[in-house]
This record gives sequence, structure tokens and C-alpha cells, in this order.
Amino acid sequence: MLSFVQTALQKRVDDFHAHERIDFDFHRSSVASSGNERLKRAIDNAVLRSDRGRSLKLLELPDSDKLRDLAGEIKQHTLDHLDYYLEQTAINVEKRGGQVHFASTGAEAKKIILDIVHKANCHNVIKSKSMVSEEIELAHVMEAAGINVIETDLGEFIVQIDHDKPSHIVTPIIHKDKESIAELFSNYFGTPYNCDPDALTKQAREYLRDVFRKADLGMTGGNFIVAETGDICCVENEGNVRQSMTTPRVLISLIGIEKLVPRMADLSVMLKLLARSATGQSMTVYSSIFSGVRKAGERDGPDEFHLVLMDNGRTEILASEEYRETLRCIRCGACLNACPIYRKIGGHSYGSVYPGPIGALLTPMFQGLGEYKDLPNASSLCGACYEACPVKINIPKHLISLRRDIVDQKISSPIERIIYRIWAWTYMATWRYKLISFGQKTVLRLQAGGSSWLKRLPPPGSGWTQVRDMPTPAAKTFREMWNAK
Amino acid sequence: MNDPSNVLGKVRRSLGRTAPLTRAPVPPSLSEPLIRLVLSDIGLPQLFEKKALENKIGVTPLRVDDLAAELVAFLHSKHVKTVAVPKSAFLDRIGAVDALRAAGFVVSTWDEMTVDDMYDVDASVTDVWKAVAETGSLVVRASPEHGRCLSLIPPLHVAIVEPKNCVADLIDLFETATASGDASAFTIITGPSKTSDIEMNLVIGVHGPEKVHVFLLA
Repeated sequence: MLSFVQTALQKRVDDFHAHERIDFDFHRSSVASSGNERLKRAIDNAVLRSDRGRSLKLLELPDSDKLRDLAGEIKQHTLDHLDYYLEQTAINVEKRGGQVHFASTGAEAKKIILDIVHKANCHNVIKSKSMVSEEIELAHVMEAAGINVIETDLGEFIVQIDHDKPSHIVTPIIHKDKESIAELFSNYFGTPYNCDPDALTKQAREYLRDVFRKADLGMTGGNFIVAETGDICCVENEGNVRQSMTTPRVLISLIGIEKLVPRMADLSVMLKLLARSATGQSMTVYSSIFSGVRKAGERDGPDEFHLVLMDNGRTEILASEEYRETLRCIRCGACLNACPIYRKIGGHSYGSVYPGPIGALLTPMFQGLGEYKDLPNASSLCGACYEACPVKINIPKHLISLRRDIVDQKISSPIERIIYRIWAWTYMATWRYKLISFGQKTVLRLQAGGSSWLKRLPPPGSGWTQVRDMPTPAAKTFREMWNAK
Repeated sequence: MNDPSNVLGKVRRSLGRTAPLTRAPVPPSLSEPLIRLVLSDIGLPQLFEKKALENKIGVTPLRVDDLAAELVAFLHSKHVKTVAVPKSAFLDRIGAVDALRAAGFVVSTWDEMTVDDMYDVDASVTDVWKAVAETGSLVVRASPEHGRCLSLIPPLHVAIVEPKNCVADLIDLFETATASGDASAFTIITGPSKTSDIEMNLVIGVHGPEKVHVFLLA
């Protein structure tokens, strides 16, 4: 009987995914958002504040640069010995009454979680915010399977009832203004319009308190897992993660396999950097460290705890010594806040749950370079992300390496490749170079007609001038000036 | 352990190994001067007070003899009628629970409550496991006597902190946590529950208490 129910369930989940189609056009999405002044203002308002807060708060540390080195070394060491630490984690979690499930893919993780929900006969799920659940669209799949699942982080709750998508790793609704949220609440709850953030938050609080009271299953992600003890560490400001690990009788933590640290003491390094880098706080309001099930005599906390450790493409990154350090990421969002490109185009333009510089790395690696070949180019390589990263992932270097891979694997468009071929050929002989630069200069200056900017180029240059102006070439080339010296 | 697709094997192969490591790897050493922000154990309660105030945690420093009267007056000023407390020898010893009952508050002890009851309580008055001076944080630890929901569900959380609860730095907290065995959970509380999700407007009081107040004993 149970297996019949599960087959039916699986079918509904498959159906849900059947009409999902990747249709990602970075050019279209980024051009559209960069023209949206309201969106850019909202993003600037949020991320510049976080970025400034980060710089200020890092000054409290004795030597933040060296501490970031240490944090990077701890994570790198863990990744280099991940098999050992995963095994240690599994043993310790089970020792303390939890059950450990490894999932190779997102689909497998979802199947494991749906099985747990059904076997435990749970109906009301409270879910706290986690990037890994966004990565596999867990909430949608649970809804499709007929489970009542509520996102309990305020931002994620708003995203859920608006059928929207988060646009930032830490602050998911920076693309929304309070007026649109007020309208949404007014329609959803059938209450009068009120755009005061305090009132909106209170309204969500009242609604969600009832949800918490009835919940029989809690879902969390995890910022860190301590291998030596089997503890999960979750940080938050609102208190909904604490609700997940306190009220319901079943708790599931879905976490990526790369989230481990070897020792409890490592948390002092990580926590000192995480909140400062993410939101410019010294500490988040709640840092919860929990393991397994409630102990004998305890009157709250889960009776049943499941840790689902998901691979979903991470082992492929792990296998590349070059890209392995990308997995150090602790999802603080500092690189998004620091990135001049992110600030102009917003999170949705990146077409995946991981936006910004780190997303431009992770998305092509998780989802395939072919579909997301434009993302490694969505960077001016200014290095602000590398400077902001608390675990020192050299993002600009890896973006260049991905560009190299795009060329090596012949993923770029055939026209682009021919153009570069011709370019290379031209530059290999002085006379061809001279001829071409003379021709180029003459034609472009003619087209500019005395103006110092070229507004439009003929194809294929038109793609370039669609979003920027081109300076008109100087009357004399550098070579001409050099020879005249 | 449940590993149908052999993820562990895949991880091992990705790292270029065919067999498990025979010796435990040695993680990078944690250089204390780099991590530690609080160097001295002198004046920790004062530092805790300063940092807690920065985090919007109210602090009243007082002598233990004044606690009962101050606590009662404070709860009256917040219009509190019902109070939840952990089963705590410390709170009994300093007479906090008796004083609350004598002042007419309806006091429920955690060992005779359910999680659901906690939603109808106006405030909780608890002891703490530790207080971190570096960050001005309270640390509460789950036990049969002290439920996880005590410092979470009521809209007002009052904590009574003794000087001996104070540890200097997060390093010291995690050292103590490692040494003191396996509590099923502990939470570091650094302020009232809050969010800035809507246009970065700070709103205090989301899912946890909107007010946290400390009575800091001398």
C-alpha cells in the first residue's frame, strides 16, 4: 500500500517537473533589469548598506585578512579530506539518535524527504530558508505532492505566496518594495492595505504563529556541520529555524556535503566571519547548534531527526583540483553585495538560485556550461568579490578559467569563433594589422561623423553597442604617434 | 547510514583515493591571537553589559537582594500576567519564583507545561547556561529542566545572569561546549528576534521574543 502511494507520489512529482524547461537568455534578462531604475535603486539601497557594514565590522577583528586565510584553510582542508569527515559526521549523528541519508542528486534528495514525510505521517511542514532547498525546488515539489508546506522566513514566505523567486542569497526579496508586499498581503489575507513594514511583519508573525503551533515536521538547511560531534549549526535573525528544531516531532536537515568543518572550535572562526560578511552584524541573533533527537526527559525538540547530505554535482567540482576551492563557499552573499554587475542587473538575471559572482561560478558548474555560458562573462573581473570573500575563493581567476573552458570545449557560437580566428590571423602579420587598424579607424570615424561616441555599430558589433556607447577611435593610432616621436 | 548511490565512494574517488584514510587528518591549527577578541577575563560582566546593550538587549545590573522587587516591578511595567520558568534550582534559591507567585503572577514551571501552553504565556524568566562577553550573547542549553521553547515562544524573555556564567570569547564558549558533553541543543541569543527583509527596514519581533531583558547579578 505504502509503495503504491509512493509511486503515485513520484508520478505527481515527475509531472511537476515535466513542463519545466530551461529557457535562459542572459542577454535578454540582464538588459531588461539594467533598464529598471526602480529595481536598481532597491538593490543599491540593500546591498551597499550590507557591503559598508561588512567593511566596518571586519575592522573589529585583530587581522581580518589573516582570519579569512584561516577560514579558507579550514574549509579547504575539510574538502581535501571530505570522505573522512563525512564518515565521521555520519557516525556521530547516528550515535546521537539521528538518521543519515546520502543523496546523489536533487531528485534522490526529494524522494528521500518525501518518503520520510509519509512514513512519519506528517502533514504540516514548516520550512526555514536554505539555499540547498531552493537549488532543488523542494517546497514546490512538496506542494505538488500534496503536503502543506509553509516557508517561515519572512522574505521566503512573501516569495512563496507571491509565486516569485528569491533574488539574493541572504536577503531574498530586495527586488520588492513595501508597496507591492502590502498589496500582496491585502489580497492574500483579505485585509486592508497597509504598507508599514512593522505592520506587515506583525501580520505575517500572527499568521505564522498558528502555523508553528500545528506543525508536525520541521525542515532546515545548515550553515555548518561539526564532524567531530555531529552537530548542525544554523544561524538566523528571525527565530523560525529555532521553531523548526523545537516544536515539530520530526526534523529534517537538508545540507550540501561541502558544509562540514572538522571541530566545534572551528565555529568560532566561521561565526566571527559569517555574520560580519553577510549583513554587517557581529553575530546573527540566533546561532543554534543541535544534534539528533531530544534526550530522555526533554519535553521539546524532535523525536526523529534525519540529516540528508546531498551531492547534486558537488563531487564533480571536488574532482577538479582547480575548481575545488569553489566549494568553500559559506553562502554569505558578500560577493553579491560587492559586485558592480550584480548591482546593475539584480539576482533574477542570473537565471538560477545562486546569483552574483559566486553564482556565475556555481551555476555553470552545477547545471552545465552550455546552457549558462554567458554567466562567466557577466563580470568586469574587478576583483571586488575576491576581496570580500570570507573564505578567499579566487572568483575572478575561476571566471577566467571557465571562459577558457568555454573556448576549449567549443561551446561559444560558431560566428564568435570565426571572428576570433580572423582577428588572430590579422594580428599575426604587421602589414595586416596596420591595414586593418587603418580601415577600422577610418570606417568608424566616418560613421561617428565628428561625434566622440558611436551610438550604434552594424552587426555583429550591434550586440555590443546595444547596451553601451563606443568611444570613437582617435585620429592617429598609437603606432602612428610612436613613429612620429 | 543510508547511502544507496554510494555518494561516499564518489567523494573518495573525486579526491583520487581508492581506500579510506588510515590516519585521521590534522586540521589547520587555530591561531588564538588571530581569532580571540577578548584577551582578559577581568571585567567580563561589564563587557557583557556593554555588548548586550549594543544588541538591543536591556540590562539591569543589581545585587541579588534587590532582584525580587526589581523583577516584579519590571514585569508589571510590561503588563505581564502569566510567566513561564524552567525548573531551576538557581531560580528557586534566589527566591525568584516565590517572589513572582507572591506578587500575583500566574507562574508555570516547564516540567508541568507543553509546548502548546507556551504560546499563551506573556513572558519567560530563565537562567542561562553561559553569557558571552565578546558578543553580548546569552547561551541557553536544552535539558529536561530547560525547554528549547522557553526563550523562543513568549514575546518577552527575561534572563538572570550571574558573573560566573560569563565567558570571554566565542572560542571559550565552544571549548566549554566541546568539553561539557552532548547537550541535544544550545542556542546563542544575541538580541531580540528581528528582520530587515522589507526594504532593509529593521523590524524587531518576528518569530522569537521582541524583547530580551537581562538582570545581571553582581
